[in-house]
Amino acid sequence: MLNYLGKRILQSAIPLIVVVIGVFFLARLTGDPSSLYLPLSATEEMKADFAARNGLDLPIFQQLLNFLGGAFTLDFGESMRTGEDAAAMVLRAFPATLQLAFFTMLFSIIIAVVIGCWAALKPNGVADRIVSFFSMVAASVPDFWLAILGIWIFAISFGILPTSGVQGGPEVWILPVATLMMRPVGVLAQIVRGSMVTVLGQPYIKVAYSRGATRFFVVTRHALKNAAAPALTVAGDLTVGLINGAVVVESIFGWPGIGKLMIDSILMRDFPVLQAAVLVTAVAIFVLNIVIDLLYAALDPRVRPTGRSAKQQGKKDGEPATTGVRTVKPGAIKATVATASAGSASSTGTTTSTQAPGTQGAGA
Amino acid sequence: MTSSAVPRSAKARLTRSAIAVVPIIALLTGCTVANSQSDSGVGALEGDTVRVVLQQEPPTLEACEANLTSTGVVVRSNITEPLVERDPATGDLDPLLATEWSQTGDTEWTFTMREGVTFQDGEKFDAAAAAHSIDRAVNSDLGCNVEGYVFGDADLGLDVVNDTTLKITTEEPDPILPLKLSFIEIVSPATSDTEKVREPAGTGPYEIANWSSGNNIRLTQFADYWGDKPEFPNVEYVWRGEATVRAAMITNGEADIATGLSQDDGIGDYGVPYPNNETVAVRFQGNVAPLDDIRIRQAINYAIDKQGIVDALYPNGDQVAAQIIPEGVVGHNPDLEPWPFDPEMASQLVEEARADGVPVDTEIQLVVRTAQFPKIQEVAEILQGEFAEIGLNVNLQMLETAQHLEYQTAPFVTNQGPIMLLIQHGNQAGDAQFSVDQYFLSDGPQSEFGTDEFDAMMDAARPLSGDEREAAYEEIMNYEVESIVQMAFISHQTGMLGVSDRINYTPNSASGDELRISTVTSA
Repeated sequence: MLNYLGKRILQSAIPLIVVVIGVFFLARLTGDPSSLYLPLSATEEMKADFAARNGLDLPIFQQLLNFLGGAFTLDFGESMRTGEDAAAMVLRAFPATLQLAFFTMLFSIIIAVVIGCWAALKPNGVADRIVSFFSMVAASVPDFWLAILGIWIFAISFGILPTSGVQGGPEVWILPVATLMMRPVGVLAQIVRGSMVTVLGQPYIKVAYSRGATRFFVVTRHALKNAAAPALTVAGDLTVGLINGAVVVESIFGWPGIGKLMIDSILMRDFPVLQAAVLVTAVAIFVLNIVIDLLYAALDPRVRPTGRSAKQQGKKDGEPATTGVRTVKPGAIKATVATASAGSASSTGTTTSTQAPGTQGAGA
Repeated sequence: MTSSAVPRSAKARLTRSAIAVVPIIALLTGCTVANSQSDSGVGALEGDTVRVVLQQEPPTLEACEANLTSTGVVVRSNITEPLVERDPATGDLDPLLATEWSQTGDTEWTFTMREGVTFQDGEKFDAAAAAHSIDRAVNSDLGCNVEGYVFGDADLGLDVVNDTTLKITTEEPDPILPLKLSFIEIVSPATSDTEKVREPAGTGPYEIANWSSGNNIRLTQFADYWGDKPEFPNVEYVWRGEATVRAAMITNGEADIATGLSQDDGIGDYGVPYPNNETVAVRFQGNVAPLDDIRIRQAINYAIDKQGIVDALYPNGDQVAAQIIPEGVVGHNPDLEPWPFDPEMASQLVEEARADGVPVDTEIQLVVRTAQFPKIQEVAEILQGEFAEIGLNVNLQMLETAQHLEYQTAPFVTNQGPIMLLIQHGNQAGDAQFSVDQYFLSDGPQSEFGTDEFDAMMDAARPLSGDEREAAYEEIMNYEVESIVQMAFISHQTGMLGVSDRINYTPNSASGDELRISTVTSA
């Protein structure tokens, strides 16, 4: 297992490094930030001073080396926009996004599992149709529109929730979390429903019923665990999207998270903060992916590293391809998801629309 | 088939549960958002606090950056004060930290300082303190925004005669030096003059109580303020990027003042329009064909239905523009009439140019900054349509700020064919010099062509004062329209604030940059 973990860490570290270095160069291709920070009538001397103060007068590879060297000690320099320590700004914003992502995914998974299972009990029944309709709608509605609608209904019309902000009691969480939940609930309900339909049709479920097990027991103790792995794949991707920054929602609700910080940094060409934000986000996604891999392994023996299985199967140590190699690749899991939920028109689309780790921040 | 990878022993299960529960508890117990305060309930306005919702968080409160709208609106006349202040209604200069001033030589001005004033950090205000602030803003290497916008390369000589007398000398005669000084916010002499500071100490009616980055800025009344005490002892600034949310905070009773609104944001009767001295215009790259032909530039002026744009998109007070500065700014020419909307004349001019071999079919780029002001995209699309009507081939490019600036300021983008730029220019200083030197001088930072004669007119106007100055700049405005046509002026804009029914606040032409909370009273 340790070998497997080590190999996964190495595999994930490569895209992490590529993303971080890529962002460094791409940011600099967007132009000279001095025009945003200096008056329109700034002289060449003022521009040269600005460049020198921010280390932008150095050769590009020297700048890269300085950045990478600083990154090891969490020293990303100072924000060009605010003059604050860039790492401090990022580490202040990141927990706000993590909290938002955590509650969003917690409630999304609970609701999606309940309604997904409910729909799967009688495929094409009334409940199934209702769940399919609403989950498709929820997965498709733009969060920008939903956020404004929520403010209009609950804050302005009924006056029961604040329009925005982060200060105060639990009520400030309701609209942002509810807005962000829509898509994950919609997507996950479809996945859970699809995989539950497949699992509930398996012979061992019929055996369980024939032995007198109740439907609740069969669903919760037998079917759900086996149906969970595909949902976990998608839930992981959805969480990655949230950690990458719920830009629109953070912006509308004045939520001081990483998404808002990243967008501001991109628009203001604030290289130190952008680099720090991308690195911290990429590391978080890297860790999340490792956790998800481990959870797969815990939930589905087919994706577990074969080292232990090989021994259990009586193979000798030293035989090729027995350690640290998955018997099923993640892509295969996604294919399984698509197949399992083929009963739903939207399910394939939802699995393919999830984002690759680390791409949103860089491309936004 | 159902074999599990998870250990089944009770101990292992307990361990797993504990591992899962710990972070959840940690998150739930720390349910307030990271770095937020829980002492202020959102929604509930405190009786003694004015809550202002801005478009964005100020990047800094450094006083020498107060020309930045988001900084100035918090800092100016709230935390810090200048030596003299410009009355936004009349354009007159009023005493503030300086009680009187006079020109005591061709290049020398003498200012008398107010006595009995202290800074929020306990330092005493005197002529030396004023000299320190001017020196760090204008003469230092800090790269202050006010230096570039107001003073350019010129340094000022500062001679502290005694505690209350400061002599300031300029390299060239400068009749509007007091006006320029109204842009320098005076900060404590303890303020670093080698580094910018994030939170200044000034002499204003409010001092910074707390800046919770990402959440809010709170100001509280400065107990030793030299002037009248403001009615509201506390101010809280929050920020929301979305205009409809800012408007909703007013209508929902969560904020008292919201900036940067338009009627379409749902502000209703709480919306208060005010003239903001901003002018919208199309600026031509006049040295590239076909825009190098004055007939094409004239044709574009005729082609724009300015009144139609104002009536359809900005019915709350915007005025059709005939020049770059609105009424109330020194140098505004009241006799100039806007170009009439005459598409037939425009088409005729284009055809005349075509007949003379001008490549009128060349694709012209119309470069526009996304979200620069409300409904900018609609304006750009109307312009594109109107230009097509008269036979020009115009391609619309919507760009974000940083990209747009590459077209806006020298050195300009080249090799993209002829370019027109939709600009919004604000003259908050109240004097034409701040507009024409940027836009009309041949080598101005935002100018792409001109003539020697026109440059000479602007050079001659700069040292003038009084009526002579007024007349010289009026003539410059006239000459630009008749002989240069570097721009097609569209409208003088109005801004809009949301003001709750809990307070009284009357905005003026400076309110977009300087929101004086001391003038806010209870309704």
